[in-house]
Amino acid sequence: MTCDEVKARLVDCWNQSLDERDALAVEGHLTACPTCSAEAERLGALWLELSVIPSEEPRPALRGRFYEALNAYQNAYRDGMESARRRNWRTRVLALWPRQPAWQMALSLALLLVGVSVGYAVRSDGPRGANSEIAQLRGEMDGMRQVVALSLLQQQSAGERLRGVSWANRVESSDMEVLSALLDSVNHDPNVNVQLAAVDALHAFGSSPVTRTAVVQAISTHQAPLVEIALIDLAVDLKDKEAVPQLRTLLQDSSADADVRERAKWALEKFQ
Amino acid sequence: MQEVRAGAMAKLAVLFERHHRALFGYFMSMTRKQETAEDLVQDVFVRILRYRSSYDADRPFRTWMYQIARNANLDHARKNRGEVVGIEEFGDRRPEPVSAARGPEEASIRGQDIRLLQRALDRLPADKREILVLSRFQGMKNEELAQVLDCEIGAVKVRIYRAMKALEEIYLALVGEKAS
Repeated sequence: MTCDEVKARLVDCWNQSLDERDALAVEGHLTACPTCSAEAERLGALWLELSVIPSEEPRPALRGRFYEALNAYQNAYRDGMESARRRNWRTRVLALWPRQPAWQMALSLALLLVGVSVGYAVRSDGPRGANSEIAQLRGEMDGMRQVVALSLLQQQSAGERLRGVSWANRVESSDMEVLSALLDSVNHDPNVNVQLAAVDALHAFGSSPVTRTAVVQAISTHQAPLVEIALIDLAVDLKDKEAVPQLRTLLQDSSADADVRERAKWALEKFQ
Repeated sequence: MQEVRAGAMAKLAVLFERHHRALFGYFMSMTRKQETAEDLVQDVFVRILRYRSSYDADRPFRTWMYQIARNANLDHARKNRGEVVGIEEFGDRRPEPVSAARGPEEASIRGQDIRLLQRALDRLPADKREILVLSRFQGMKNEELAQVLDCEIGAVKVRIYRAMKALEEIYLALVGEKAS
């Protein structure tokens, strides 16, 4: 066995995964080659020493963030499945459409007649075509607002992120992606003003159970007293009674900020 | 993971609980920032959900997960080129080393040695540090590493050996600096 072959097998020695035949060959070489022997000893000791380096732990907030994101993703997935089911239903209806051109024409004429008759019967005042176009435009505007809000919320500048929160106020309250970004801002934005603005923006998303759960969690984990107070106010506005246990804990926590405890007391009175 | 792929996304929580600490350790070693490491752990699990349909049930989950983790780390590094973090600052943030030595004086010397070793590890080039972290701290077998790094098993062994040599060189230089 050459020096290079032995070096490649040293890793197996450290991992204790060397088979018996190779182990004998490596041992034989090391006995005969003092250079390799010294190197194997030094690197082996260093390899062992690496195990003493302590491992690092993530902060507990990571778990909360993960569950927030998972909830948001699950809800978005459920919404997606629902619309897919609706699409399937449309496909089945379309399958009833005849393939023969003559039948297609006859059916078209019949439908046209039915449409005209129903139109006359209903005598609608509003221009329905225009309504559907407006709905489509509204959808496109919502999509655009979502993109603007999400991209601004990821900016380095706090001012831009504040603008992102302001844009988030303009999207549909069912938009899980924006909700998730807002929750992330509440819990992790380095700037308190952005955190406070994000708490305010959450009012619009109050009907979502994700918002309620996240607000309750944030009350007990948040470090900034101003944001904690804003979160307590939000829980009261949303009439979220699930916050009661957290508020009681906060009230009894002597290390918590005095103003926060005062606000928790006020909120508990509101819930009674 | 197969259940997650089939749509039972709540099962991702089981995978998170099983792997998030190890992933955090990997990202901590690679990025040297607690907050970034946590963000990247979160990013990996979001990517797992997003790309769940591409998971091959015949391959180990951990291998696939670390391939995603490496991509997340590369994307992060690309976005943050030019961002420099003080190595000393990072080294100081690590928990106090647990010493196996007996007497208090001996324990103190040992603790200093370990701190130098930590510093040497932090100063290794990213590719060398990565392979050592995966092999030594994440306990990956060479076969698994070959899949994650997309190379031959022989190449994995050579790369670990070279990383150890580089680590030794930096460590001895630090010991010399301290002595002088």
